[in-house]
Amino acid sequence: MKKLIEFKNIVKKFDDQLVLKGIDLDIYENEFVTLLGPSGCGKTTLLRMLGGFLKPDEGEIIFDGEMINDMPAYKRPINTIFQKYALFPHLNVYDNIAFGLKLKKMPKDIIETKVTRMIQLVDLVGREKEDISVLSGGQQQRVAIARALVNEPDVLLLDEPLAALDLKLRKEMQHELKRIQQEVGITFIFVTHDQEEALTMSDKIVVIKDGTIQQIGTPTEIYNEPVNEYVANFIGESNIIDGIMKKDYLVSFDDKDYECVDRDFKDNEVVDVVIRPEDIDIVPYGKGKLNGEIKSVLFKGVHYEVIVETRRGTSKTVTMHVMKERDIVNAEANEMMHASDFSMDIEDVKTMTDQEIIARANAQAWDATSEEDISITEVITDLKDEAGKYECTFKTHEGTSIGIVITVVEPKYVEDNKDNTGITAFDFYKTVDEIKESMAISVDLKTWADAYAWYIDNDEEAPITEVRFDFDPNTIEEGDYKITFSTEGREYKVHTTKCFEEGQRIAIDFEGSDIHVMHKMGA
Amino acid sequence: MRSFRRLVYPYIVWGSIFILIPMFMIVFYAFISEGNGVMTVSFTFDNFLRFFEDSIFIEVLLRSLKIAIVTTIICIIVGYPVAYIIARAKPNSQSIAVLLITLPMWINMLVRTYAWRGILLESGLSPEVKVYIGMVYNFLPFMILQIYTSLSKMNKDYLIAATDLGCNARQAFLKVTLPLSVPGIISGITLVFLPAVSSFFIPKLLGGGSFVLIGNLIENYFLTAGDWNFGAAISLIMTIVILISMFITKKFDHEKEAENA
Repeated sequence: MKKLIEFKNIVKKFDDQLVLKGIDLDIYENEFVTLLGPSGCGKTTLLRMLGGFLKPDEGEIIFDGEMINDMPAYKRPINTIFQKYALFPHLNVYDNIAFGLKLKKMPKDIIETKVTRMIQLVDLVGREKEDISVLSGGQQQRVAIARALVNEPDVLLLDEPLAALDLKLRKEMQHELKRIQQEVGITFIFVTHDQEEALTMSDKIVVIKDGTIQQIGTPTEIYNEPVNEYVANFIGESNIIDGIMKKDYLVSFDDKDYECVDRDFKDNEVVDVVIRPEDIDIVPYGKGKLNGEIKSVLFKGVHYEVIVETRRGTSKTVTMHVMKERDIVNAEANEMMHASDFSMDIEDVKTMTDQEIIARANAQAWDATSEEDISITEVITDLKDEAGKYECTFKTHEGTSIGIVITVVEPKYVEDNKDNTGITAFDFYKTVDEIKESMAISVDLKTWADAYAWYIDNDEEAPITEVRFDFDPNTIEEGDYKITFSTEGREYKVHTTKCFEEGQRIAIDFEGSDIHVMHKMGA
Repeated sequence: MRSFRRLVYPYIVWGSIFILIPMFMIVFYAFISEGNGVMTVSFTFDNFLRFFEDSIFIEVLLRSLKIAIVTTIICIIVGYPVAYIIARAKPNSQSIAVLLITLPMWINMLVRTYAWRGILLESGLSPEVKVYIGMVYNFLPFMILQIYTSLSKMNKDYLIAATDLGCNARQAFLKVTLPLSVPGIISGITLVFLPAVSSFFIPKLLGGGSFVLIGNLIENYFLTAGDWNFGAAISLIMTIVILISMFITKKFDHEKEAENA
């Protein structure tokens, strides 16, 4: 194949923002090339430069051996299909398609032959005289394709042309575009953020992120051998695990060594390991590479998406003391009062204000008849920053008072270095009603227990993904209950056609050739 | 919604008293002879015959049409480039330009025309040229604003697409911008031609007594001569001329649309 277009070190800035950071890319004749990336990655900018609507700040665009940086758009043998088609509203289907040919002052009969052929190619026979505005999105799309192709360009640029269509039509047009490209045999350069579209249609995919090319390859190469975590995540779904490449063909992750097919890494290089969900098999417990438990099963149509947990996260169990309401009644002043005991971290005692104590104890006072709130004017406590139990009394202006116990405890947290996470949570006191009133019990339990998890290496907050308890919030009675908070363990996403039960103990299995090792990003 | 319909009653009353009844009166007066009493009414076509029998009246009618048509054409030729330049300017400059164009309209048209009379008094120009100056000056903003609105609403993607398909700047204008701004030109024509054909104080003030248009004729018969019947007939004739010209404009517009359909 002949090289048709070369981008050489293309740099583009918009208002000091670097949009393209030195793009080098070769495009050959008759290729279906897809520029794939999220919005704002610079893919459309690159396309517009080739169309002649933007000029690069640095670098060269070479077309058929000739530098075309300064060639105006109308002289380039390149046509574009725009995202919103930009069909001329004052012309009908036929005249829209004939627009480019009429400009070239071609004889009428030749124009007619060519336009008719295009109308057949895009399957719009019989609609020639129709107004653009009466056409559906898919038909407008076809007119746009015909309008561009009738000029017989060497390259057709397509700027997310399917974005405005619904799913079914989009799938249809994907095949349609591929068919048209094979029929007319010219280079198509297609811009999209949809990975599936890219995989379906392209001969070559160019994955772009933040103005730099991450990977260029065929759909199979990009899917099976992504160069880094970004590409692996962007194209399809994947399990990405931190690992160490011990030597050629041997990678270690989750404390185990696995044979693989990758080589040419430094010995003991820290790497990312990818295993695609469809490459993992679920086998009976003890019969696979890793044992685990099924955490969730989602039906996806063709397959089930199963999450398998092979290692628990870091967890901490606390006690919830459930008590009856303790309303104090002061008949003399016609006032009622309420407050609960609570526990707190020794480190927080110094910064504790009266307002915070009222809030933590959920202390309230109200008028017995009107139920209007009454301020708590006094908080009397001997709270010290030493572990122990302390009395605390709340009083209103009228002298109504209620006493509670504040338990100050040493900070207790669990750290798991292997998992790189730490977690902390505290015992707490609640009334039956408060638990019954909770709208989202897991979230409330986290708040009440002050549960918090973090990554040991960078001290950033880690998500608490599981709250386990064995009571029913609707029928709870007085007593003590254990609640366990845990962080995310090692989870594998598996695609399978068999159905499994949540909580089932199983093992997962995969081949060495299913493991794909990548360099860490930025390394 | 139903209850809001009552809000339209005042307008119906207003419209009946100040539009329908006077129109009916005009038609009525045009078809009766002069000097009728309250009780005796005699219908006649004399008023119309008188208009078409005397070549002077036809001449005035044709002159009025010519003045209005030429004024409209000048307004398009001058107004289009102005509107085009404004529509392509930065948004801030656009609002300033639109403000500057509408600014003279804050002053009464009559006052402005008096000012022009003073300016042109010693100029030695013919009455006809003076009338053109006055007409174009007064009606140009309507044309500019209509064309500007249609140009500024136009999607810029069409121009990019035209360039992509091989148009240079001139071709892109002729093949895309101009046809897409036709609706703006048509409504500009309506807004300029109608007041121009019926204007009476511009020719009166700038043309000096010698330059008579159909508007002046009507004014004279109603106010000076006191011949309401003939005045009403001329009004009716002019109304018909205006209706015909509007029909032609509309038809032109529809043909454009039909061509696309």
